[in-house]
Amino acid sequence: MRVIRLLLVDDEERFVETLGKRLTARGLYVEGTHSGEAALALLQARPFDVVLLDVRMPGMDGIQALREIKKVQPLVQVILLSGNASINTAVEGMRLGAADYLLKPAEIEEVMAKVEEAFEKKRLEEG
Amino acid sequence: MGGRGEIKAIAPVGGRSLRTAVLALAALPALVLLAFALLLALTGGRRPGALAGLLLLALCAVLLASIPLILHLLHRLSAMERQGAAFYHELTRLAKVASLGEVSSSIAHDLNNPLAIMNEEAGWVMDLLQGAGGDERAAREEIRHSVEQIQIQIRRSREITQRILNWARDTDEPAAAVDLNLLLNKTLYLLESDLQRVQVRVVKRLASVPPVAAGSVAELRQVFLNLMKNALDAMGETGGTLTIATSSSPGEVRASIGDTGSGIPPEALPRLFEPFFTTKEEGKGTGLGLAISSWIVGKLGGRIEVESTPGQGAVFTVVLPARTSEAMEPCNGGSHAGHPTAAG
Ligand SMILES: Nc1ncnc2c1ncn2[C@@H]1O[C@H](COP(=O)(O)OP(=O)(O)OP(=O)(O)O)[C@@H](O)[C@H]1O
Ligand SMILES: [Mg+2]
Repeated sequence: MRVIRLLLVDDEERFVETLGKRLTARGLYVEGTHSGEAALALLQARPFDVVLLDVRMPGMDGIQALREIKKVQPLVQVILLSGNASINTAVEGMRLGAADYLLKPAEIEEVMAKVEEAFEKKRLEEG
Repeated sequence: MGGRGEIKAIAPVGGRSLRTAVLALAALPALVLLAFALLLALTGGRRPGALAGLLLLALCAVLLASIPLILHLLHRLSAMERQGAAFYHELTRLAKVASLGEVSSSIAHDLNNPLAIMNEEAGWVMDLLQGAGGDERAAREEIRHSVEQIQIQIRRSREITQRILNWARDTDEPAAAVDLNLLLNKTLYLLESDLQRVQVRVVKRLASVPPVAAGSVAELRQVFLNLMKNALDAMGETGGTLTIATSSSPGEVRASIGDTGSGIPPEALPRLFEPFFTTKEEGKGTGLGLAISSWIVGKLGGRIEVESTPGQGAVFTVVLPARTSEAMEPCNGGSHAGHPTAAG
Protein backbone atom coordinates (compact mmCIF):
# COMPACT_ATOMS: atom_id res chain seq x y z
CA MET A 1 0.00 0.00 0.00
CA ARG A 2 1.29 3.43 -0.91
CA VAL A 3 1.99 6.04 1.73
CA ILE A 4 -0.95 8.35 2.48
CA ARG A 5 -0.10 11.99 1.75
CA LEU A 6 -1.79 14.16 4.34
CA LEU A 7 -2.07 17.94 4.51
CA LEU A 8 -2.77 19.25 7.99
CA VAL A 9 -4.31 22.74 8.18
CA ASP A 10 -4.86 24.56 11.47
CA ASP A 11 -4.03 28.05 12.71
CA GLU A 12 -2.73 26.56 15.97
CA GLU A 13 0.90 26.05 14.97
CA ARG A 14 1.82 23.80 17.84
CA PHE A 15 -1.19 21.59 17.15
CA VAL A 16 -0.06 21.08 13.54
CA GLU A 17 3.50 20.38 14.62
CA THR A 18 2.73 17.77 17.26
CA LEU A 19 -0.17 16.02 15.55
CA GLY A 20 2.03 16.02 12.45
CA LYS A 21 4.83 14.25 14.33
CA ARG A 22 2.44 11.68 15.73
CA LEU A 23 0.89 10.92 12.37
CA THR A 24 4.33 10.71 10.76
CA ALA A 25 5.30 8.22 13.44
CA ARG A 26 2.28 6.20 12.34
CA GLY A 27 3.50 5.97 8.79
CA LEU A 28 1.84 8.91 7.03
CA TYR A 29 3.54 11.53 4.90
CA VAL A 30 2.49 14.77 6.56
CA GLU A 31 2.81 18.41 5.64
CA GLY A 32 1.35 21.16 7.76
CA THR A 33 0.22 24.71 7.16
CA HIS A 34 -1.68 27.39 9.07
CA SER A 35 -4.25 28.97 6.79
CA GLY A 36 -6.80 28.12 4.14
CA GLU A 37 -4.96 30.25 1.59
CA ALA A 38 -1.64 28.50 2.21
CA ALA A 39 -3.37 25.10 2.01
CA LEU A 40 -4.76 25.94 -1.43
CA ALA A 41 -1.33 27.01 -2.64
CA LEU A 42 0.22 23.75 -1.39
CA LEU A 43 -2.50 21.68 -3.04
CA GLN A 44 -1.71 23.33 -6.37
CA ALA A 45 1.98 22.60 -5.92
CA ARG A 46 1.92 18.93 -4.83
CA PRO A 47 -0.55 16.08 -4.79
CA PHE A 48 -2.22 15.10 -1.49
CA ASP A 49 -4.70 12.37 -0.69
CA VAL A 50 -6.35 13.69 2.43
CA VAL A 51 -6.67 17.14 4.00
CA LEU A 52 -7.34 17.55 7.71
CA LEU A 53 -8.89 21.01 7.82
CA ASP A 54 -9.71 23.16 10.85
CA VAL A 55 -13.08 24.89 10.53
CA ARG A 56 -12.35 28.03 12.50
CA MET A 57 -9.36 29.97 11.23
CA PRO A 58 -8.78 33.68 10.79
CA GLY A 59 -8.96 34.82 7.18
CA MET A 60 -10.32 32.10 4.93
CA ASP A 61 -12.12 29.69 7.23
CA GLY A 62 -12.41 25.93 6.83
CA ILE A 63 -15.76 25.97 5.08
CA GLN A 64 -14.58 28.49 2.50
CA ALA A 65 -11.34 26.56 2.03
CA LEU A 66 -13.32 23.34 1.58
CA ARG A 67 -15.37 24.99 -1.17
CA GLU A 68 -12.23 26.13 -2.99
CA ILE A 69 -10.46 22.79 -2.59
CA LYS A 70 -13.45 20.90 -4.01
CA LYS A 71 -13.49 23.30 -6.95
CA VAL A 72 -9.88 22.75 -7.95
CA GLN A 73 -9.32 19.18 -6.75
CA PRO A 74 -12.60 17.32 -6.31
CA LEU A 75 -10.87 14.01 -5.62
CA VAL A 76 -8.91 15.15 -2.58
CA GLN A 77 -10.67 13.95 0.56
CA VAL A 78 -11.27 16.61 3.19
CA ILE A 79 -11.88 15.84 6.86
CA LEU A 80 -13.12 18.81 8.86
CA LEU A 81 -11.75 19.47 12.34
CA SER A 82 -13.78 21.54 14.72
CA GLY A 83 -13.61 22.72 18.29
CA ASN A 84 -17.33 22.72 18.88
CA ALA A 85 -20.00 20.20 18.18
CA SER A 86 -22.09 22.24 15.83
CA ILE A 87 -24.42 20.03 13.83
CA ASN A 88 -24.93 22.90 11.41
CA THR A 89 -21.27 23.05 10.46
CA ALA A 90 -21.09 19.28 10.12
CA VAL A 91 -24.13 19.17 7.85
CA GLU A 92 -22.91 22.15 5.85
CA GLY A 93 -19.48 20.55 5.48
CA MET A 94 -20.84 17.21 4.31
CA ARG A 95 -23.13 18.97 1.86
CA LEU A 96 -20.10 20.73 0.40
CA GLY A 97 -18.37 17.44 -0.09
CA ALA A 98 -16.34 16.83 3.06
CA ALA A 99 -15.51 13.16 3.59
CA ASP A 100 -15.86 13.27 7.35
CA TYR A 101 -15.87 15.34 10.49
CA LEU A 102 -13.69 15.21 13.62
CA LEU A 103 -14.15 16.94 16.96
CA LYS A 104 -11.21 18.45 18.80
CA PRO A 105 -9.65 17.09 20.91
CA ALA A 106 -9.64 13.78 19.04
CA GLU A 107 -8.02 10.45 19.88
CA ILE A 108 -5.14 9.58 17.56
CA GLU A 109 -6.74 6.19 16.74
CA GLU A 110 -9.88 7.95 15.59
CA VAL A 111 -7.86 10.38 13.46
CA MET A 112 -5.94 7.50 11.88
CA ALA A 113 -9.12 5.52 11.24
CA LYS A 114 -10.84 8.41 9.53
CA VAL A 115 -7.79 9.32 7.46
CA GLU A 116 -7.42 5.71 6.28
CA GLU A 117 -11.10 5.49 5.49
CA ALA A 118 -10.94 8.73 3.51
CA PHE A 119 -7.90 7.43 1.62
CA GLU A 120 -9.78 4.22 0.74
CA LYS A 121 -12.66 6.32 -0.49
CA LYS A 122 -10.34 8.33 -2.69
CA ARG A 123 -8.82 5.19 -4.21
CA LEU A 124 -12.28 3.85 -4.99
CA GLU A 125 -13.33 7.13 -6.57
CA GLU A 126 -10.16 7.25 -8.65
CA GLY A 127 -11.04 3.76 -9.84
CA MET B 1 -25.63 53.96 3.38
CA GLY B 2 -28.80 55.62 2.26
CA GLY B 3 -30.20 59.01 3.20
CA ARG B 4 -30.67 60.16 6.74
CA GLY B 5 -33.83 59.24 8.52
CA GLU B 6 -35.15 60.77 11.66
CA ILE B 7 -32.76 61.14 14.52
CA LYS B 8 -33.81 60.45 18.01
CA ALA B 9 -31.66 60.68 21.08
CA ILE B 10 -32.82 58.74 24.05
CA ALA B 11 -31.65 59.81 27.47
CA PRO B 12 -32.03 57.46 30.40
CA VAL B 13 -35.12 58.42 32.39
CA GLY B 14 -35.53 58.21 36.13
CA GLY B 15 -38.24 59.45 38.47
CA ARG B 16 -36.67 62.88 38.30
CA SER B 17 -39.45 64.69 36.43
CA LEU B 18 -42.06 63.32 38.83
CA ARG B 19 -40.05 64.50 41.79
CA THR B 20 -39.91 68.02 40.39
CA ALA B 21 -43.68 67.95 39.92
CA VAL B 22 -44.24 67.01 43.55
CA LEU B 23 -41.88 69.72 44.73
CA ALA B 24 -43.74 72.26 42.60
CA LEU B 25 -46.98 71.10 44.18
CA ALA B 26 -45.53 71.72 47.61
CA ALA B 27 -44.37 75.17 46.64
CA LEU B 28 -47.76 76.18 45.25
CA PRO B 29 -49.68 76.85 48.51
CA ALA B 30 -46.72 78.79 49.84
CA LEU B 31 -46.75 80.95 46.72
CA VAL B 32 -50.50 81.60 46.98
CA LEU B 33 -50.03 82.53 50.59
CA LEU B 34 -47.24 84.93 49.73
CA ALA B 35 -49.33 86.59 47.01
CA PHE B 36 -52.26 86.93 49.36
CA ALA B 37 -50.15 88.52 52.09
CA LEU B 38 -48.67 90.91 49.55
CA LEU B 39 -52.14 91.91 48.35
CA LEU B 40 -53.25 92.42 51.91
CA ALA B 41 -50.28 94.63 52.65
CA LEU B 42 -50.90 96.69 49.50
CA THR B 43 -54.59 97.28 50.20
CA GLY B 44 -53.54 98.27 53.70
CA GLY B 45 -55.77 95.61 55.22
CA ARG B 46 -58.75 97.99 55.42
CA ARG B 47 -62.15 96.41 54.85
CA PRO B 48 -62.00 92.63 54.41
CA GLY B 49 -60.04 92.18 57.60
CA ALA B 50 -61.97 89.27 59.06
CA LEU B 51 -62.42 87.52 55.69
CA ALA B 52 -58.77 87.88 54.85
CA GLY B 53 -57.73 86.51 58.20
CA LEU B 54 -59.99 83.49 57.68
CA LEU B 55 -58.62 82.83 54.21
CA LEU B 56 -55.10 83.13 55.53
CA LEU B 57 -55.87 80.66 58.24
CA ALA B 58 -57.42 78.19 55.77
CA LEU B 59 -54.44 78.38 53.48
CA CYS B 60 -52.06 77.85 56.37
CA ALA B 61 -54.06 74.77 57.32
CA VAL B 62 -53.92 73.41 53.78
CA LEU B 63 -50.18 73.96 53.65
CA LEU B 64 -49.61 72.31 56.99
CA ALA B 65 -51.85 69.37 56.10
CA SER B 66 -50.06 68.80 52.80
CA ILE B 67 -46.59 68.62 54.35
CA PRO B 68 -46.82 65.00 55.54
CA LEU B 69 -48.49 64.01 52.28
CA ILE B 70 -45.71 65.61 50.27
CA LEU B 71 -43.06 64.04 52.43
CA HIS B 72 -44.75 60.69 52.00
CA LEU B 73 -44.89 61.12 48.24
CA LEU B 74 -41.22 62.02 48.09
CA HIS B 75 -40.38 58.99 50.14
CA ARG B 76 -42.41 56.72 47.89
CA LEU B 77 -40.75 58.17 44.83
CA SER B 78 -37.23 57.44 45.98
CA ALA B 79 -38.33 53.94 46.94
CA MET B 80 -39.70 53.50 43.42
CA GLU B 81 -36.44 54.69 41.95
CA ARG B 82 -34.56 52.19 44.05
CA GLN B 83 -36.90 49.41 43.04
CA GLY B 84 -36.53 50.41 39.41
CA ALA B 85 -32.77 50.12 39.68
CA ALA B 86 -33.08 46.76 41.42
CA PHE B 87 -35.48 45.60 38.72
CA TYR B 88 -33.06 46.51 35.95
CA HIS B 89 -30.24 44.91 37.85
CA GLU B 90 -32.20 41.69 38.02
CA LEU B 91 -33.11 41.98 34.33
CA THR B 92 -29.46 42.40 33.44
CA ARG B 93 -28.62 39.29 35.40
CA LEU B 94 -31.38 37.29 33.74
CA ALA B 95 -30.41 38.42 30.27
CA LYS B 96 -26.86 37.43 31.06
CA VAL B 97 -27.96 33.96 32.06
CA ALA B 98 -29.94 33.74 28.82
CA SER B 99 -27.03 34.83 26.64
CA LEU B 100 -24.57 32.60 28.49
CA GLY B 101 -25.81 29.74 26.35
CA GLU B 102 -24.70 31.41 23.14
CA VAL B 103 -21.49 32.75 24.55
CA SER B 104 -20.62 29.41 26.08
CA SER B 105 -20.64 27.75 22.68
CA SER B 106 -17.96 30.13 21.48
CA ILE B 107 -16.04 29.72 24.73
CA ALA B 108 -16.24 25.94 24.40
CA HIS B 109 -14.60 26.34 21.03
CA ASP B 110 -11.88 28.53 22.50
CA LEU B 111 -11.26 26.01 25.25
CA ASN B 112 -11.15 23.03 22.90
CA ASN B 113 -8.16 24.46 21.06
CA PRO B 114 -5.77 24.37 24.03
CA LEU B 115 -7.28 21.03 25.03
CA ALA B 116 -6.54 19.67 21.57
CA ILE B 117 -2.91 20.81 21.82
CA MET B 118 -2.51 19.28 25.28
CA ASN B 119 -4.05 16.09 23.96
CA GLU B 120 -1.46 15.89 21.19
CA GLU B 121 1.44 16.81 23.46
CA ALA B 122 0.49 14.18 26.04
CA GLY B 123 -0.05 11.66 23.25
CA TRP B 124 3.37 12.48 21.80
CA VAL B 125 5.03 11.97 25.19
CA MET B 126 3.27 8.63 25.38
CA ASP B 127 4.47 7.75 21.86
CA LEU B 128 8.04 8.62 22.84
CA LEU B 129 7.90 6.64 26.08
CA GLN B 130 6.60 3.60 24.21
CA GLY B 131 8.98 4.03 21.30
CA ALA B 132 11.60 1.27 21.51
CA GLY B 133 15.23 2.38 21.34
CA GLY B 134 15.87 5.63 19.53
CA ASP B 135 17.99 8.45 20.80
CA GLU B 136 17.44 8.71 24.56
CA ARG B 137 18.71 12.27 24.83
CA ALA B 138 16.66 13.53 21.90
CA ALA B 139 13.56 11.88 23.33
CA ARG B 140 14.14 13.57 26.68
CA GLU B 141 14.39 16.95 24.93
CA GLU B 142 11.17 16.26 23.05
CA ILE B 143 9.36 15.30 26.23
CA ARG B 144 10.56 18.44 27.97
CA HIS B 145 9.24 20.57 25.10
CA SER B 146 5.88 18.83 25.19
CA VAL B 147 5.47 19.25 28.92
CA GLU B 148 6.36 22.93 28.61
CA GLN B 149 3.76 23.27 25.90
CA ILE B 150 1.16 21.61 28.13
CA GLN B 151 1.94 24.18 30.83
CA ILE B 152 1.54 27.01 28.32
CA GLN B 153 -1.83 25.64 27.22
CA ILE B 154 -2.99 25.26 30.81
CA ARG B 155 -2.25 28.93 31.38
CA ARG B 156 -4.19 29.78 28.26
CA SER B 157 -7.14 27.68 29.39
CA ARG B 158 -7.14 29.37 32.77
CA GLU B 159 -7.49 32.73 31.06
CA ILE B 160 -10.50 31.43 29.16
CA THR B 161 -12.22 30.06 32.25
CA GLN B 162 -11.48 33.37 33.95
CA ARG B 163 -13.33 35.05 31.12
CA ILE B 164 -16.39 32.88 31.69
CA LEU B 165 -16.29 33.81 35.35
CA ASN B 166 -16.05 37.49 34.50
CA TRP B 167 -18.94 37.17 32.14
CA ALA B 168 -21.16 35.46 34.69
CA ARG B 169 -20.07 37.62 37.60
CA ASP B 170 -22.25 40.31 39.04
CA THR B 171 -22.14 43.53 37.14
CA ASP B 172 -20.81 46.08 39.57
CA GLU B 173 -17.15 46.31 38.75
CA PRO B 174 -15.11 49.45 39.24
CA ALA B 175 -14.96 51.48 36.05
CA ALA B 176 -11.93 50.61 33.98
CA ALA B 177 -10.49 52.08 30.81
CA VAL B 178 -12.20 50.32 27.93
CA ASP B 179 -10.66 50.42 24.48
CA LEU B 180 -13.73 50.51 22.23
CA ASN B 181 -11.88 49.28 19.13
CA LEU B 182 -10.61 46.24 20.97
CA LEU B 183 -13.94 45.54 22.61
CA LEU B 184 -15.87 45.77 19.33
CA ASN B 185 -13.44 43.41 17.63
CA LYS B 186 -13.72 40.91 20.47
CA THR B 187 -17.50 41.14 20.56
CA LEU B 188 -17.60 40.56 16.83
CA TYR B 189 -15.53 37.44 17.35
CA LEU B 190 -18.17 36.08 19.75
CA LEU B 191 -20.72 36.33 16.93
CA GLU B 192 -18.49 34.75 14.33
CA SER B 193 -20.54 31.61 13.91
CA ASP B 194 -23.71 33.69 13.39
CA LEU B 195 -21.87 35.82 10.86
CA GLN B 196 -20.81 32.75 8.94
CA ARG B 197 -24.29 31.31 8.80
CA VAL B 198 -25.82 34.36 7.19
CA GLN B 199 -24.30 36.31 4.34
CA VAL B 200 -23.15 39.35 6.24
CA ARG B 201 -20.30 41.56 5.13
CA VAL B 202 -18.56 43.32 7.99
CA VAL B 203 -17.19 46.79 7.38
CA LYS B 204 -15.03 48.32 10.08
CA ARG B 205 -14.38 52.02 10.36
CA LEU B 206 -12.42 52.16 13.58
CA ALA B 207 -10.75 55.36 14.75
CA SER B 208 -6.98 55.15 14.33
CA VAL B 209 -6.47 56.32 17.89
CA PRO B 210 -8.57 53.86 19.89
CA PRO B 211 -11.36 55.72 21.72
CA VAL B 212 -11.25 54.92 25.42
CA ALA B 213 -14.34 54.98 27.61
CA ALA B 214 -14.72 54.47 31.34
CA GLY B 215 -16.86 51.47 32.16
CA SER B 216 -16.93 47.77 32.68
CA VAL B 217 -15.79 45.58 29.82
CA ALA B 218 -18.38 42.93 30.67
CA GLU B 219 -21.25 45.38 30.67
CA LEU B 220 -20.22 47.22 27.53
CA ARG B 221 -19.64 43.93 25.80
CA GLN B 222 -23.21 43.04 26.57
CA VAL B 223 -24.39 46.35 25.11
CA PHE B 224 -22.51 45.80 21.85
CA LEU B 225 -23.54 42.16 21.70
CA ASN B 226 -27.19 43.21 22.00
CA LEU B 227 -26.81 45.86 19.30
CA MET B 228 -24.98 43.50 16.94
CA LYS B 229 -27.50 40.74 17.46
CA ASN B 230 -30.32 43.16 16.73
CA ALA B 231 -28.53 44.28 13.57
CA LEU B 232 -28.11 40.67 12.41
CA ASP B 233 -31.76 39.93 13.22
CA ALA B 234 -32.84 42.98 11.25
CA MET B 235 -30.96 41.74 8.19
CA GLY B 236 -32.35 38.22 8.53
CA GLU B 237 -31.47 35.40 6.18
CA THR B 238 -30.85 37.70 3.23
CA GLY B 239 -27.87 39.22 5.01
CA GLY B 240 -26.37 42.60 4.23
CA THR B 241 -23.65 44.83 5.58
CA LEU B 242 -22.78 45.29 9.23
CA THR B 243 -20.86 48.50 9.78
CA ILE B 244 -18.85 48.90 12.96
CA ALA B 245 -17.45 52.37 13.57
CA THR B 246 -15.76 54.24 16.39
CA SER B 247 -14.76 57.86 16.76
CA SER B 248 -13.95 60.39 19.41
CA SER B 249 -14.61 64.06 19.80
CA PRO B 250 -13.57 66.27 22.72
CA GLY B 251 -15.02 64.72 25.85
CA GLU B 252 -16.97 62.01 24.05
CA VAL B 253 -16.36 58.67 22.44
CA ARG B 254 -18.74 56.95 20.05
CA ALA B 255 -19.23 53.43 18.84
CA SER B 256 -21.86 52.67 16.27
CA ILE B 257 -23.37 49.51 14.87
CA GLY B 258 -25.06 49.96 11.51
CA ASP B 259 -27.01 47.50 9.44
CA THR B 260 -28.76 47.36 6.08
CA GLY B 261 -31.78 45.56 7.47
CA SER B 262 -35.46 46.30 7.81
CA GLY B 263 -35.04 49.62 9.59
CA ILE B 264 -37.39 50.91 12.27
CA PRO B 265 -40.89 52.20 11.51
CA PRO B 266 -41.48 55.69 13.00
CA GLU B 267 -44.25 54.43 15.29
CA ALA B 268 -41.90 51.90 16.91
CA LEU B 269 -39.17 54.46 17.59
CA PRO B 270 -40.53 55.90 20.87
CA ARG B 271 -41.06 52.43 22.33
CA LEU B 272 -37.76 50.91 21.29
CA PHE B 273 -36.09 51.12 24.69
CA GLU B 274 -39.08 49.97 26.72
CA PRO B 275 -38.57 46.68 28.50
CA PHE B 276 -40.40 43.85 26.71
CA PHE B 277 -41.00 45.87 23.55
CA THR B 278 -40.29 43.47 20.73
CA THR B 279 -41.48 42.92 17.19
CA LYS B 280 -39.89 39.50 17.05
CA GLU B 281 -41.92 36.34 17.17
CA GLU B 282 -42.30 34.52 20.43
CA GLY B 283 -39.20 32.72 21.52
CA LYS B 284 -36.97 34.87 19.32
CA GLY B 285 -36.92 38.12 21.25
CA THR B 286 -37.71 39.09 24.80
CA GLY B 287 -37.54 42.83 24.16
CA LEU B 288 -34.93 43.29 26.85
CA GLY B 289 -31.82 43.89 24.77
CA LEU B 290 -32.21 47.61 24.23
CA ALA B 291 -33.80 48.28 27.64
CA ILE B 292 -30.82 46.78 29.41
CA SER B 293 -28.34 48.38 27.03
CA SER B 294 -29.72 51.87 27.56
CA TRP B 295 -29.76 51.31 31.30
CA ILE B 296 -26.09 50.27 31.29
CA VAL B 297 -25.07 53.14 29.03
CA GLY B 298 -27.14 55.62 31.08
CA LYS B 299 -25.46 54.44 34.24
CA LEU B 300 -22.09 55.28 32.67
CA GLY B 301 -23.30 58.79 31.88
CA GLY B 302 -23.87 58.13 28.19
CA ARG B 303 -26.73 57.67 25.77
CA ILE B 304 -27.76 55.60 22.78
CA GLU B 305 -28.76 57.37 19.58
CA VAL B 306 -30.81 55.79 16.85
CA GLU B 307 -30.95 56.75 13.24
CA SER B 308 -33.04 54.78 10.82
CA THR B 309 -34.54 54.90 7.39
CA PRO B 310 -37.32 52.32 7.25
CA GLY B 311 -36.54 49.71 4.63
CA GLN B 312 -32.88 50.68 4.41
CA GLY B 313 -31.41 49.96 7.79
CA ALA B 314 -30.55 51.42 11.15
CA VAL B 315 -27.57 52.81 13.01
CA PHE B 316 -27.33 52.59 16.79
CA THR B 317 -24.66 54.82 18.30
CA VAL B 318 -23.41 54.47 21.84
CA VAL B 319 -22.08 57.81 23.10
CA LEU B 320 -19.98 57.69 26.26
CA PRO B 321 -17.95 60.23 28.19
CA ALA B 322 -14.30 59.96 27.15
CA ARG B 323 -12.00 58.52 29.71
CA THR B 324 -9.12 60.97 29.34
CA SER B 325 -9.11 63.99 31.60
CA GLU B 326 -6.97 66.18 29.38
CA ALA B 327 -8.82 67.93 26.58
CA MET B 328 -8.14 66.36 23.22
CA GLU B 329 -7.40 68.50 20.22
CA PRO B 330 -9.48 67.47 17.25
CA CYS B 331 -6.39 67.23 15.04
CA ASN B 332 -3.03 66.39 16.49
CA GLY B 333 -1.16 64.72 13.66
CA GLY B 334 -0.85 61.27 15.21
CA SER B 335 1.59 62.32 17.92
CA HIS B 336 -0.70 60.89 20.50
CA ALA B 337 0.59 59.04 23.51
CA GLY B 338 -0.88 55.56 23.92
CA HIS B 339 -3.88 55.40 26.17
CA PRO B 340 -4.15 52.75 28.80
CA THR B 341 -6.32 50.00 27.45
CA ALA B 342 -8.27 47.24 29.07
CA ALA B 343 -8.20 43.70 27.95
CA GLY B 344 -11.58 42.19 27.29
N1 LIG C 1 -31.05 47.23 14.18
C1 LIG C 1 -32.41 47.19 14.21
N2 LIG C 1 -33.13 47.28 13.07
C2 LIG C 1 -34.49 47.23 13.11
N3 LIG C 1 -35.21 47.10 14.25
C3 LIG C 1 -34.55 47.01 15.41
C4 LIG C 1 -33.12 47.05 15.47
N4 LIG C 1 -32.76 46.94 16.76
C5 LIG C 1 -33.90 46.83 17.48
N5 LIG C 1 -34.98 46.86 16.67
C6 LIG C 1 -36.38 46.77 17.09
O1 LIG C 1 -36.46 47.03 18.47
C7 LIG C 1 -37.09 45.95 19.15
C8 LIG C 1 -36.54 45.85 20.54
O2 LIG C 1 -35.20 45.45 20.51
P1 LIG C 1 -34.58 44.74 21.78
O3 LIG C 1 -33.16 44.43 21.51
O4 LIG C 1 -34.87 45.56 22.98
O5 LIG C 1 -35.43 43.41 21.91
P2 LIG C 1 -35.43 42.13 20.96
O6 LIG C 1 -34.24 42.15 20.08
O7 LIG C 1 -36.75 42.06 20.31
O8 LIG C 1 -35.30 40.95 22.00
P3 LIG C 1 -33.99 40.53 22.84
O9 LIG C 1 -32.94 41.56 22.57
O10 LIG C 1 -34.42 40.53 24.25
O11 LIG C 1 -33.63 39.20 22.33
C9 LIG C 1 -36.87 44.75 18.26
O12 LIG C 1 -37.84 43.76 18.43
C10 LIG C 1 -36.94 45.37 16.86
O13 LIG C 1 -38.27 45.54 16.45
MG1 LIG D 1 -32.22 42.44 20.86
